[in-house]
Amino acid sequence: MTRRPLDRGRTVFAASFLAPAVLIYAVFVLVPLLQAVQLSLYRWRGVSAKRTFVGLENFKKLIHDDALLQSLHNAFWLLVIALGAVFVGGLTAAHALNRPGKAARTVRGLILFPQVVSIVAVAVLWEFLLHPDPGVGLVNGSLALLGIKARPWLGETATALPATAVTFVWHALGFYVLLFLAGIKGIASETMEAAELDGSTGLHRLRTITWPLLWSVKRIATIYLVINVLNVFALVLLLTSGGPDRHTEMPLTYLYEQAFTNSQFGYATSIAVVDFVLAMVLSLLVMAIYRRNPTEARA
Amino acid sequence: MKLLANIALFLLAAIIVLPMGWVVLASFKTGHEITSSPWSLPASPQWANYARAWQEAGIGHYFVNSFLVTVATLAILLPVGAMAAYVLAKHPFRGSKTIFGMFLGGMMFPNLLVIVPLFLLLRSMHMLDTKEGLVAVYVAYSLSFTIFVLTGFFQTLPDELAEAASLDGATHAGTFWKVMLPLARPGVLVVAIFNAIGLWNEYSLAKVLISSEANTTLPLGLDRLTMTQHYQSDWGALFAALVIVMAPVLALYWPFRDKIAETMVAGAVK
Repeated sequence: MTRRPLDRGRTVFAASFLAPAVLIYAVFVLVPLLQAVQLSLYRWRGVSAKRTFVGLENFKKLIHDDALLQSLHNAFWLLVIALGAVFVGGLTAAHALNRPGKAARTVRGLILFPQVVSIVAVAVLWEFLLHPDPGVGLVNGSLALLGIKARPWLGETATALPATAVTFVWHALGFYVLLFLAGIKGIASETMEAAELDGSTGLHRLRTITWPLLWSVKRIATIYLVINVLNVFALVLLLTSGGPDRHTEMPLTYLYEQAFTNSQFGYATSIAVVDFVLAMVLSLLVMAIYRRNPTEARA
Repeated sequence: MKLLANIALFLLAAIIVLPMGWVVLASFKTGHEITSSPWSLPASPQWANYARAWQEAGIGHYFVNSFLVTVATLAILLPVGAMAAYVLAKHPFRGSKTIFGMFLGGMMFPNLLVIVPLFLLLRSMHMLDTKEGLVAVYVAYSLSFTIFVLTGFFQTLPDELAEAASLDGATHAGTFWKVMLPLARPGVLVVAIFNAIGLWNEYSLAKVLISSEANTTLPLGLDRLTMTQHYQSDWGALFAALVIVMAPVLALYWPFRDKIAETMVAGAVK
């Protein structure tokens, strides 16, 4: 539409149509966001008006907070497991789904099921699948048929994080499969046909054609996973509450504990800031690593 | 190769459907059947599990709360979001890109980042533990995605229609309500479904902002029920509750599955 700078009616219209959204957004999103940064510089237990400015003290304390370091350590391993599962499982699934036919179409519809149901339902579901009693839990019950002893997967320090990772991947995988599928479909069919004529099929084609051409999708998937893992909250809170002995603690579950169990509002908010900055820095790092288009060099 | 792909497809379907089907099956079992073997089938379907979940366990009450909160949020969110998106798409001005960017920024950070200030804000407004407070927060945190998708949608609509309406003497606002919004219906529908699913499932914000039984939403209620059932062990009712939580979302998702998948991927690739 052409701009008519003197049209006052248009200005009034634009302002009045934008105002409700901007107002709601400012009050409940922007102001709290600024307050979060501010609050991270205070020592404050939230109850009294006594709020002490402590500068970067909260952040200095964070560096020596074993529980926080443990949560970052856990998040790192969750990310490693999830990256492996998403790249291997997601790419395999996307390849299997990339063809016509009713079966592939149906499974494509099913694949988001674990993501569209509530995270609470996912957690309760897996709590029972992994139930220590082989008479109740499907996993231990099935292993019992193979003669393998039942274990409290979520209750033992050695298996709690891997078991949580399985649940996380089950919940999150569908989106990444669709992402890879869109990437594979985006590779021109001429390229694929030419490769086939040259005798490049199966794994060879995956290694030489599909894998390098998917670079932009892989970049998006990695960034999303980094952010997803650092944002894990409800799943862990419901499954294990961070236990046993903090072996599944995540930065945001620790934040929740500090804020709403210990009333350390200032300290909790500084954890939020660190978590967010870490997600941003890692995202930029991934961007830089994947920056070069590997197919350009050969063109 | 074809066989391998078929096997992969079958495995994928099994990994998704098996756990969910197992829950549905368990929701029809007696307590004894649930604890005797995870592979057993219900001798006769225990519909009473559903009745107990709905009434005694309070799932019916939580269901109504979730319904009210979701509908009220959408009733405010959709017009407010569409109005803003329309201006940003069709009446750009100096600074409108900044406003759009500001809304987009909201999709980047986790809600937990602002949870403490948000909790304090609602406390100072005396809106803590109220449905109104929860709705206000839900509207605010759904605006980013809504405006992002609807701005894109309005941009695809031709300018000629709005110009014709304005030549006919319609005001800008009249053109929006009578011509452009009806044309945008497919986009609004996708946004509505997407938000409805997300709001129905929302847990983290409700966990912090809602405390009383009277205002508890379904995901929060399921969480409470799980904790109490660890002592009472009415697992039949718990599994039934689980099905009641999941079923409406899946029913809403299924007819729109292609559109939802497309929107998710498009939003990510952007």
